[in-house]
Amino acid sequence: MATLTRQDLNFGQVVADILCEFLEVAIHLILYVREIYPSGIFQKRKKYNVPVQMSCHPELNQYIQDTLHCVKPLIQKNEAEKVVMVIMDKEHHPVERFVFEISQPPLLSISSETLLSHVEQLLRAMILKISVCDAVLDNNPPGCTFTLLVHTREAATRNMEKVQVIKDFPWIVADEQEVHMEEAKLIPLKTMTSDILKMQLYVEERTQKN
Amino acid sequence: MDDLYLDNIDEFVNDQNKIVTYKWLSLTLGVHVNTAKQMLYHYLQQKRNESSGTPLHATYLVSGKCVENGSTYHKVSVVREDKLDAVKAKMDVTISVHVYSVQRAELKDSSPLYSTDYDAVKENLKNCNKYSAIRCAAAVPLSSSELQRAQEKALVPPVEKEISKPGFNENTSATSKPSAKQPAGIMGMFASKNASKSQESSKEVKTEQKEDFSLVETSKSKTASKANPMSNFFGKSAQKKADEKPNKSIKEEMDSSSTASATASLKQSQTSSKSETDVKEEQSKVSKALKVESKDTRNKTKRPEVVDSDDEKMLSQQKKRRRIKKPQPDSSDEEVVPDSPPVPNVHTPSPKKQVKREPVSHQEESSEVKRRKRRRVLRSNTFVDEDGAFVTEKGYVSESYSESEEEPESNSQAKDSSSLKQSFGKREEEKKEESEEDLCC
Repeated sequence: MATLTRQDLNFGQVVADILCEFLEVAIHLILYVREIYPSGIFQKRKKYNVPVQMSCHPELNQYIQDTLHCVKPLIQKNEAEKVVMVIMDKEHHPVERFVFEISQPPLLSISSETLLSHVEQLLRAMILKISVCDAVLDNNPPGCTFTLLVHTREAATRNMEKVQVIKDFPWIVADEQEVHMEEAKLIPLKTMTSDILKMQLYVEERTQKN
Repeated sequence: MDDLYLDNIDEFVNDQNKIVTYKWLSLTLGVHVNTAKQMLYHYLQQKRNESSGTPLHATYLVSGKCVENGSTYHKVSVVREDKLDAVKAKMDVTISVHVYSVQRAELKDSSPLYSTDYDAVKENLKNCNKYSAIRCAAAVPLSSSELQRAQEKALVPPVEKEISKPGFNENTSATSKPSAKQPAGIMGMFASKNASKSQESSKEVKTEQKEDFSLVETSKSKTASKANPMSNFFGKSAQKKADEKPNKSIKEEMDSSSTASATASLKQSQTSSKSETDVKEEQSKVSKALKVESKDTRNKTKRPEVVDSDDEKMLSQQKKRRRIKKPQPDSSDEEVVPDSPPVPNVHTPSPKKQVKREPVSHQEESSEVKRRKRRRVLRSNTFVDEDGAFVTEKGYVSESYSESEEEPESNSQAKDSSSLKQSFGKREEEKKEESEEDLCC
């Protein structure tokens, strides 16, 4: 099989596509499992051959999709270091931060014919781990909201501000209070390593939530 | 039995925070399922008696007879522990209750239970029923001679075999890839049995119909937005995904249109492979696994997105997967064609939606089925998804020219082949085909 490098933009797009699809499913699943929104808006759909819960609310879906659409070019160029889903209470203080740390090996070599099936299996395992994360996390206070942050390497965001990837969907520098959480407990959830992608998922949880 | 298993289960549940289902436990520890159930029960008892440490949650499988609206049903359901007593009380006769799973987290829905079993079963696909309590003496894999016989029956005598062979090398490798991939889920039986045979038979079958050349190429070119084979696949799925969002029907159209052309070649490979029964079983498994009828089309779009690296392989595999699911509305046709190899038997959940939408097409399909047999299967499925009955007909027509006797079919058939040959690469062209179809039908 071919050995493709980072310079091969096509392959970067492939990885970005896989990752963005996964992030969309993971975000919906976290919203469902952590009960950010009532479970009535979710319906079972299938991804990676297993059932997952996705929301039906159009504006919510649109927000998540637009966000990931903007993140995708960063992932393609391997400039996205972390994608963070912050869950905040009513006063906009973060109570939980689901951090997806992403790294891509500089020289991607597709050496295995079953590569993508293997990646699918790993992503399936991550989805499963999100489903059971309830066991290690305390309950959230009612009335939580969420937001998505992206930590980029170097100065990638300067380009983002210049070019609006989606009209009327501006990205702003995150508030300090959203980025840093006090009294945080770190709970690792899952790590996955594959030829094309390395991802780690952990949760930073505030010690006292109420 | 010694109590080491209790420590094992403890490690799985508490340290690794896994969901331990009885099926997963039986495959992991290599014990009979009934033993696994007892192990889980003892573990629960022990932990509950200790009344310390982290709380455990369990789900149970309850089976019994209940009476609703005057008729008696045998109900089997997986229930959470807190609902167990309520469900048992509702049943007239409780036939069996056993522990289904033990986990630390309180599950909100049953999806993780399925996920847990999925990978365990996938790895042990050939002997996943080794520890099972369900036995059927008649359920044995076909021997190679029987397999060959079934394949010969399925195949139309290949005439242009040699001509098309060189052109189809990619396709055959593509189809062999999907067959290799099939253990990745519902297609397990397919792959394990027919890897090489389907390859050959797919070659033969494909060569028979030149139109399928164009169809396969069409599908490939349609989905190929870039030269890179991998990005072809993902480009398509990404496009598909983008379209999914706004409109489900548009999605369906895209799905079926993009898979329509590839359907032929893939279906042929399917039909030629012996495991018709396997296909049926897979289909029934698929339909059960889906559990949500209305999501069927969406599932189909999502499925191809993460499959394989090579374009045609993935295409064919994804098409193959879709196709297996798609023959749901044809369930009515099965009676008419008992000997057609890949007739899908059980597709209970998904057909409902499509059946409602295209009642007319059903009748037309059944009348055409008599002559179409396996060919029908190749195409009809994709069309069910699309809006309008005509789409379904399109499937039939293009495939069954060897046997068609009806004039309108032959007319539309001619139109199909020409329109299909002309369409390359763009979904709009596919849609154009559909509109042409509409006109002729």
